[in-house]
Amino acid sequence: MVLKLYAAPLSTASLRVAQILHEKKVPFEFISIDLARKENKEEEYLEKQPFGQVPYIDDDGFILYESRAITRYLAVKYPEQGTQGLVPDIKDVKAWALFEQASSNEVANFESLARVIVYEKVFKVRIGQEPDLKAYENAHSQLSAKLDAYEKILGKQPYLAGETLTLADLSHLPFGTRLYLAGAGDLIDSRPNVSKWFKALKERESWKEIEKGITTSREEW
Amino acid sequence: MVLKLYAAPQSTASLRVAQVLHEKNVPFEFHPIDLRAKEQKNPAFLEKNPFGQVPYIDDDGFVLYESRAIGRYIALKYANQGTPNLVPPQSDLKATALFEQAASNEFANFEVHAAKIAYEKLFKVRLGLETNEEVVEGAIQQLNVKLDVYEGILGKQAYLSGDSVTVADLYHIPFGSRLYRAGLGSLIDSRPNVSRWFNSLLQRPSWVAIKDGIVGTA
Repeated sequence: MVLKLYAAPLSTASLRVAQILHEKKVPFEFISIDLARKENKEEEYLEKQPFGQVPYIDDDGFILYESRAITRYLAVKYPEQGTQGLVPDIKDVKAWALFEQASSNEVANFESLARVIVYEKVFKVRIGQEPDLKAYENAHSQLSAKLDAYEKILGKQPYLAGETLTLADLSHLPFGTRLYLAGAGDLIDSRPNVSKWFKALKERESWKEIEKGITTSREEW
Repeated sequence: MVLKLYAAPQSTASLRVAQVLHEKNVPFEFHPIDLRAKEQKNPAFLEKNPFGQVPYIDDDGFVLYESRAIGRYIALKYANQGTPNLVPPQSDLKATALFEQAASNEFANFEVHAAKIAYEKLFKVRLGLETNEEVVEGAIQQLNVKLDVYEGILGKQAYLSGDSVTVADLYHIPFGSRLYRAGLGSLIDSRPNVSRWFNSLLQRPSWVAIKDGIVGTA
């Protein structure tokens, strides 16, 4: 049975998964969850995803949530098809460790701060609330320091885990693109290595297909 | 050459790594980093961890940072000694996926909120700064919601990804223990399944060995 993706068209975590479905050319049925109507908090939804968040997948009866768990599952399940090397060979312990290091950075040193910036300057504005400028500035200056470290790393190697593109790089796209919506794109654009790396990620076909939102199922590749 | 751990004796991320080293019976040399003197911002340190954070390891010349990455590396490299399957074998795809789900929850649904509480109620106080009670209240609210879900999950299985302990469980201990220090242990203790699970983790010899501060074993 074809994999089912329960997601919201523009949710950052949903986009993270949809991109990897494209990269690995996995057929999927898209079932749109209406966040405005709080469909994700209904009992039927909570049975599958008890934290009431999007997305989750139903892969022929196997339920899985947390976008980064889903993308890892897809990369490991489909090693032979689509983009290669999105996770390293598990037998290469050092390569795997460097992938984990880059993956941990994405969550702890990038998203945790980008999320605050986007929440204050995009989400709050959209719902007519006053942004907390102190929180925004705090997050902005902390993220700036982190991206200085990224600039160093990407001066020595093309991708965050080494020579090959991995999930650790691609995971940055959902919140990275929203930084521009928050007027904070200079964080990326002002750093030559980071800018070059990020631009290349944005130009991948898998991102271009979904950047305006997940709209359709994809039964064939 | 013996593994070197560059860390602070009571840093949550440092404790996270030290615990896995104990679980896997991996001898290590402890090189304390003085956070008050901002040793982690020195050029020599930044050469190894450009983010200027503790801990990092030097495993016979292989340098690695980010505590969760280090823990996974130790679990993978020493798969055949100490506590088994702290990371499930990748050959078991479903076990791997459910492990990754639990591991992702640990950061996104637990630490994000628990860390705010620890920062406001412990770290800031230590530095003589004012606690932002609004932030604390918000974090408590969020944790209550998340731990209700944990209560449901842990009513059906012993550990977060299934029936055996993994690093996804262990990684909760550093910030979980700080909730008690902040006077908020009730968040855990008021929930029977969460309490059973968390207290069993606290009693593991690997945590008992390090809870009062990391000491080298080599």
